[in-house]
Amino acid sequence: MPGAATLSRPVDPREFDGPDFQRDPFPLYRRLRDHHPVFHDRFHNRWILSRYHDIEAAFQDNQSFDRAVYDPDGPYEFGRRHIFGPNILEYGNSPQHRWMRNVVAGQFVGERLDAFLPIIDMIAREVIDTFIADGEVELVSQFSSQFPIRVISNMLGLPREDEAIFVGWYQALIAGLGFGGEYLARGLAARNEMWDYIDPLIEKRRVAPGQDLLSRITVAELDGKRLDKLEIKGFVALLLAAGGDTTDKAIANMWHHMLYTRPDVFPEVLADPALWENVFTEMMRYDAVVHAQFRQTTREIPLHGEVIPRGAGVILYLGAGNRDERVFADPDVFDIHRADLHMGRENRSGKYKDGKPGHLGFGMGPHFCMGYAMARQEASIACGHLARMLQNARPKFPTHEGITSPSIDSGGFRSPPQLWITFEPGSW
Amino acid sequence: MSESGHKLRVDFQKCIKAGECYYNHLDLFASTNSGFPALKVRDLDNATHLREAREAIEVCPSGAISLG
Repeated sequence: MPGAATLSRPVDPREFDGPDFQRDPFPLYRRLRDHHPVFHDRFHNRWILSRYHDIEAAFQDNQSFDRAVYDPDGPYEFGRRHIFGPNILEYGNSPQHRWMRNVVAGQFVGERLDAFLPIIDMIAREVIDTFIADGEVELVSQFSSQFPIRVISNMLGLPREDEAIFVGWYQALIAGLGFGGEYLARGLAARNEMWDYIDPLIEKRRVAPGQDLLSRITVAELDGKRLDKLEIKGFVALLLAAGGDTTDKAIANMWHHMLYTRPDVFPEVLADPALWENVFTEMMRYDAVVHAQFRQTTREIPLHGEVIPRGAGVILYLGAGNRDERVFADPDVFDIHRADLHMGRENRSGKYKDGKPGHLGFGMGPHFCMGYAMARQEASIACGHLARMLQNARPKFPTHEGITSPSIDSGGFRSPPQLWITFEPGSW
Repeated sequence: MSESGHKLRVDFQKCIKAGECYYNHLDLFASTNSGFPALKVRDLDNATHLREAREAIEVCPSGAISLG
């Protein structure tokens, strides 16, 4: 569309740093999609893609859009660079990355996940029992930030009696990641405490490995070599964050949409708990937990009349692609029966037998979210139990500040800061 | 799911084109335009291939891959 760009109000890159964008990025996303499908943000020295098909293509073309943020030949001080310490996200597209992910990936899908479902179920019940008698709950602090972290620490095989300590470390880590400053210092302190705690547990598993995930990571071998201790600790920190924080926020978002975005649809979901899976899917399209992913070009990319140079930083705004009018009708409507969205389990290939497009919330292609199946299972189990026990669940306050994020561009996760619910206690 | 032998098999009736195998186990599987995987290796005669195959079986969401 020649000349189309001149019709829109120019995008000022400082808008990305403002509070309006963190609260409601969707109007800016739309201006980008419509008028600047390839936006060169000179202020932040990066390029931005915002249309569904462009993002999908970039995710799939891993050779041209490299995940790597780590230079294998460059100086690299493990444990200092990232709050989690050394972890597979830093290994980009290397064989090392693929090996490390394959060591743990089997734990989160298929038969191993099925075998773990009773424990997920049990932990959801335990956490609900801690507040059910109160008749009200602040869902974020009392449930969603507790439940997934207890699940993943259980899967790792960490002692159950110390779960509350882990929840504390995890919350400090996440705050450090999201807010920086003094939070970062506290996050790093929590990480170091956690590492000291895990150290003897790793030693034990080196001698006598069990069936848990920590054992699996400890004894896995590539070319006869095991991960060193610091790498194992970094992996554990990453799993706690990736396996905890995202699902935590997914659950809070789902409840927010039922209580505030579509209260008219909520009774239908309460009557048919299988619909929580639809709520999950549409949440991941409408306002996914993660909105931005980062890539680096390995060649010149000609697109929509622009040329992204080689070696450029690129943001893929999957939060914008998920609202693309070119793919989804009435994209700003939260519709759990959406006919133009694949509603079932997600695929990294993006190809579905029903022929419908999937949401971009887990990414796509080689670096598609490893925990996709487990996140969906955890969220639907938790929401099903909550719906059953929180009878006549309703917002404690008539209005809500809405879903936001500390910083979309630094990968900040979208969620309601808090969510108060009033209810009559049910029984199991 | 069978792990009785060293021959890699894909059941294309069960396969849902998820891509877990050909994105993550490049030594054994290749992608095709249809979205179904193609086998690069059928007879698994070394430990690395066998380990890769078992990992692929674990992550396949449709249970379409087996050793027989």
